[in-house]
Amino acid sequence: MAEKEATVYIVDCGRSMGERRNGRSVTDLEWAMQYVWDRITGTVATGRKTALVGVVGLRTDDTFNELDDDPEFSRISVLSGLKQFLMEDIRQLGEQIKPSNTNKGDAISALVLAIQMIITQCKKLKYKRRIVLVTDGQGPMSSENLDQITKKIKEDNIELIILGPDFDDPEYGVKEEDKDPRKAENEALLRSLAEDCDGAYGTLEQAVAELEMPRVKNTRIMATFKGFLQLGDAEKYDTAVRIPVERYYRTYSAKPPSASQFALRSDLAEGQTQSSATVAGNEESQTDGSSLTTIRNLRTYQITDETAPGGKRDVEREDLAKGYEYGRTAVHIDETDANITTLETRAAIELVGFIQSDHYDRYMHMSTTNMIIAQRANDKASLALSSFIHALFELECYAVARLVMKENKAPTMVLLAPSIEPDYECLLEAQLPYAEDVRTYRFPPLDRVITVSGKVVTQHRNLPNDDLLDAMDQYVKSMELNDTDENGEPTESLPIDDSFSPVLHRIDAAIRHRATHPKEPVPPPAKILTRFSHPSEDLVERSKKCLDKLIEASDIKKVPPKVKGRKRTREAEKPLSGLDVDALLHQEKRHKISPNNAIPEFKQTLSQAENIDTIKEAVQQMGAIIEDQVKHSLGDANYDRVNEGLGTMREELISYEEPALYNDFLKRLKDRLLKEELGGDRRELWWLIRRSKLGLIDRVQSDRSEVTEEEAQAFMSAKWVV
Amino acid sequence: MADGNPYREDEVVEEEEEIDETSYKAVKDAVLFAIDVSESMLAPRPSTDSKKSIQESPTTAALKCAYNFMQQRIISNPHDMMGVLLYGTQASKFYDEDESSRGDLSYPNCYLFTDLDIPSAQEVKDLRALVDDEGEARDILVPSEELVSMANVLFCANQIFTSKAPNFVSRRLFIVTDNDNPHGADKALRSAATVRAKDLYDLGVSIELFPIARPDHEFENSKFYDDIIYKTSPNDPEAPAYLLSDSKSSTAAGDGISLLNSLLSSINSRTVPRRSHFTNMPLELGPNLRISVSGYILFKRQEPARNSFIWLGGEKPEIAKGITTQIADDSTRTIEKWEIRKAYKFGGDQVTFAPEEQKALRDFGEPVIRIIGFKPLSALPFWANIKHPHFIYPSEEDYVGSTRVFSALHQTLLREKKMALVWFIARKAAGPVLGAMMAGEEKVDENGVQKYPPGMWILPLPFADDIRQNPETSLNVAPEPLIDHMRVIIQQLQLPKASYEPLKYPNPSLQWHYRILQALALDEDLPEKPEDKTIPKYRQIDKRAGEYVINWADELEKQYAKISAATPQPTSTLVKRGAKDFDDEPSKSSKKVKAEESYESVEQDVRNHYKTNTLSKLTVAVLKSFLTSQGLSNVGKKADLVERVEEFLESK
Repeated sequence: MAEKEATVYIVDCGRSMGERRNGRSVTDLEWAMQYVWDRITGTVATGRKTALVGVVGLRTDDTFNELDDDPEFSRISVLSGLKQFLMEDIRQLGEQIKPSNTNKGDAISALVLAIQMIITQCKKLKYKRRIVLVTDGQGPMSSENLDQITKKIKEDNIELIILGPDFDDPEYGVKEEDKDPRKAENEALLRSLAEDCDGAYGTLEQAVAELEMPRVKNTRIMATFKGFLQLGDAEKYDTAVRIPVERYYRTYSAKPPSASQFALRSDLAEGQTQSSATVAGNEESQTDGSSLTTIRNLRTYQITDETAPGGKRDVEREDLAKGYEYGRTAVHIDETDANITTLETRAAIELVGFIQSDHYDRYMHMSTTNMIIAQRANDKASLALSSFIHALFELECYAVARLVMKENKAPTMVLLAPSIEPDYECLLEAQLPYAEDVRTYRFPPLDRVITVSGKVVTQHRNLPNDDLLDAMDQYVKSMELNDTDENGEPTESLPIDDSFSPVLHRIDAAIRHRATHPKEPVPPPAKILTRFSHPSEDLVERSKKCLDKLIEASDIKKVPPKVKGRKRTREAEKPLSGLDVDALLHQEKRHKISPNNAIPEFKQTLSQAENIDTIKEAVQQMGAIIEDQVKHSLGDANYDRVNEGLGTMREELISYEEPALYNDFLKRLKDRLLKEELGGDRRELWWLIRRSKLGLIDRVQSDRSEVTEEEAQAFMSAKWVV
Repeated sequence: MADGNPYREDEVVEEEEEIDETSYKAVKDAVLFAIDVSESMLAPRPSTDSKKSIQESPTTAALKCAYNFMQQRIISNPHDMMGVLLYGTQASKFYDEDESSRGDLSYPNCYLFTDLDIPSAQEVKDLRALVDDEGEARDILVPSEELVSMANVLFCANQIFTSKAPNFVSRRLFIVTDNDNPHGADKALRSAATVRAKDLYDLGVSIELFPIARPDHEFENSKFYDDIIYKTSPNDPEAPAYLLSDSKSSTAAGDGISLLNSLLSSINSRTVPRRSHFTNMPLELGPNLRISVSGYILFKRQEPARNSFIWLGGEKPEIAKGITTQIADDSTRTIEKWEIRKAYKFGGDQVTFAPEEQKALRDFGEPVIRIIGFKPLSALPFWANIKHPHFIYPSEEDYVGSTRVFSALHQTLLREKKMALVWFIARKAAGPVLGAMMAGEEKVDENGVQKYPPGMWILPLPFADDIRQNPETSLNVAPEPLIDHMRVIIQQLQLPKASYEPLKYPNPSLQWHYRILQALALDEDLPEKPEDKTIPKYRQIDKRAGEYVINWADELEKQYAKISAATPQPTSTLVKRGAKDFDDEPSKSSKKVKAEESYESVEQDVRNHYKTNTLSKLTVAVLKSFLTSQGLSNVGKKADLVERVEEFLESK
């Protein structure tokens, strides 16, 4: 468990904080709150009940604190006592934080109050205590009893952070010209206070600037496996080796916060339908007070029953048994045999053999990576593993091993590589593919062309000539990344530590922004997240000449989008021999498209069409065939064929630039489906057509179309009724 | 869903796999084997290996391949269809037609042995019977005396595809034959076949030929099949002709076994149709220089299909199809998809965004692979990995000249041993990743069939957020002598060719799962023992390295004695069982630090208590420690633990 935390933020709300200074577009208070909100929402986002936040307003119009009888403590308001901060508190605080009409109120008194709040809450318990004071240093400050305050802060181990706009910070390079002498005095006081308490003192500019830097969440380290790294079978051979080891994640995909599904509350949404089926699982907590309601998943089960309308019948969950599919055969497995298909295994990392590291193709890594160390506090194990790691390293070998994480879990093949750093040694582990995981898609070679007749050609428009090869070589050299490490030294390594998950941090920042500024639009992603979206400017500059040469040698031509689909001018596809099959087809004289060979004959008729009438005629015939298929479909039996017919027709008519023919047909079809003229209720078919995106051809898809995108969308809209 | 699948428990839901948003077609594959049955196809080929007396005829080899293919597909592509059509047979069968039906046969001498569908257990059984030449099978494999018309065979296939696999994105006809010129000089028959082949092409069916040479005659594609087969596949214009014609040499060999093997290898390499993960993606080499590429996933973990609910009320068990509807919690009103709003939980409340805002959060621009610089390959650490790679290959669709530029880059990266760092957005809504793009060489197997294609691989790199901290541990660097001993052991146990060959390791739990299902489905006896090629070869390990292990263990004792003398704390551990003078003294500090407990002494302890039937006197910690050391589960109450230990020791 993470340590308990208690943080009190003291926010200066004095009148002077409402001003915009030094050319900034935001008031000092708004600026300060960028920092404070970020911190607070960062805590809220963890959802931890043990991370407490309190807020004290300084130089407020009112006075509200437990010492408010004492004039020294006037103009200080406890806006929120220490507690787990929730949305409601954020909303409230958002309303309370605004510049007041006063400049009175002592920051040091506020500090005393904050200390008091922490003492009351934390007592002597184990807490991480922190006070953050943000002020412009324009208010009065009394330096009485400062040493006692310092003593108390140190005694209670409270971390003190003091920030302010335009505070001088030579290290960060901020110095305010013509500083008000009072502010200068206060700054000096605050700085020495912070230093005396071993706290931090800084200028707000730096703090806000650093907010951009994504914070990487540290996850608790937990072993995913504790057991043995084994060589040989210890039960049969006394030459077997077993080294006690522990396995941990080395990489693990950090997931962005996930959204839950909600719907508008039913009394707000129109139209209600009742469903009587049983409710299963996936219940989400009720939203309170908002206009949203959670969504539940309702699962029903159907079996085919030819006697039932629609060919399907509902069955109750309770009447169903568990099982698996073997091909299309259902295999029922008795409750008592539930684990019958589970392979019996024992947890272990068993060495299978060793390979040369340069014989391994790095792209075979299938997974995130893990690390394996010797059992902790076991010197002998650590010594043994170390010898294994070093031997692998010296031999430039990897080990192949069979990993079973837990008893009866499926084994995986893993690759183990040595990792030796000056103060750390471990094995690194990545999962390897099994035979079933490899898909053998085949592709022609890239350095030669093999013709249909089997001849090997080395000069071809698909192969680079020497000029291109040379230009590429130069370009790759000119684009070499020369990264530097934190000391400015050139480094060979990849910039992984500086790359942050764009989606994760974008969503995280957006949620926190929306929580504190509900009415504002979501700000754009932080620059640092897209740092690697383009090559750096100086690299582009540096390689410009080489790139120009490469572009010239490449002679790339963009295919205009229109040409892509156009078929009228395209050559007909020919078999390997190059035989003109179309000529043969001509001889055959297929006048009418036959329903059992509709798609080929439709395509062939179009490709031979010499005028628009032939195309129209073909579309009409095809349309009649499709309608006939719908009409005679038993339930959904013919729907896939209908879909294929429609899809073919749509595709072909886009290529032949006759979108209107398709659109007219589809409108007619929809109309007839609606009127139930094609064998009754065909709603399911229309739903399938929608899902397959077989709607009207709009202008984007074909510039000959007169249908706009909106019209096409409206035509396919969710509502069945036009 | 309530059904807990043991294989899916810790799986993170991935929203990827092949998706082709533009297509109206179902992403499924249908394969119909058309196997020639003729005198020469049935003639057994003698085996050159005298030890193996099995005689294989081309037809039986083809049937074996089909059977093998069927079994594999049930595992790897449970939603894809296949069928087996025999042609040239005396018997004819097509759906409800056979010789006994009245009237003319539509497709004489075509025998639809297995209808095109997702295979059923019965069909698996029937095909196996045919392969084993049992019972009725014998009567089917009789060649016809009449000449079979190829036009008719092709149209028969056409009808099967049209009616059984409508709207499939991939439909393939595998023709296995040794007859390179079925119609000789008969022009009419030839041209009829050509026309029917064009029909198939236009229907979107690709023909893949598996030619078999006759002992006295090479198979010549040019005689007939070059008119039947097309330059490009109708659904995958990128698929090159090279792949269609390369099987020439692979199946030429004369004897039966090698015929079977080369046919298997040839057919295996086409088990799955090529499916792209993304197409016509711009690969940006620099500002103003883009080419187009398509992406594929060549490595992907194959998991067993989830378990399902089964309806037992009918004649046969039947899968019940689950349908999910979403309802509002407050009124049980059914929610349509468009009504769904996404909200994030934050501070005990919801933070909402308008749908467009929600979309925009994940939008970092159009899909692209953009090179932002180059690095030496050696800069890519072993651990910097998140998931399987993407394979990319050039396409000329959007930019003419893409292939040559890609080729130039491929050659340069290979030669210079460099990789490109890329900004990679696979789909519009997919978050960007930083990837290492490296060139991969073409690799072929012993039959000359391509194993790994040439192209580029994009390995997604972890972000700073994805890197976990190293756990603290104390470091004991092994001294040289100990390393020397270990080195010998490693040298003794190199895998063949010192490399990892995935095809040698079928997934044992996946295979076992389906092996059991098959036995249950066919009502056969359950197999006793799984075939598990991932289990290390223990005997060999002992034989080859045993002696060196003992040397190493002795050295370890020596070195350990040195460091434990230096550090007063007595720690002990089992490293090697049964080694000569291993510490059998009970751990002196076992109560203080659990981790320091000696496994050796624990084991002795447990065995002694087992013998005296006093296991329950041991502490839970000791029992757990013992179970862990045996690779057994250590969860549960004390009684469970005792029971498990007893069970284990009883089985010894």
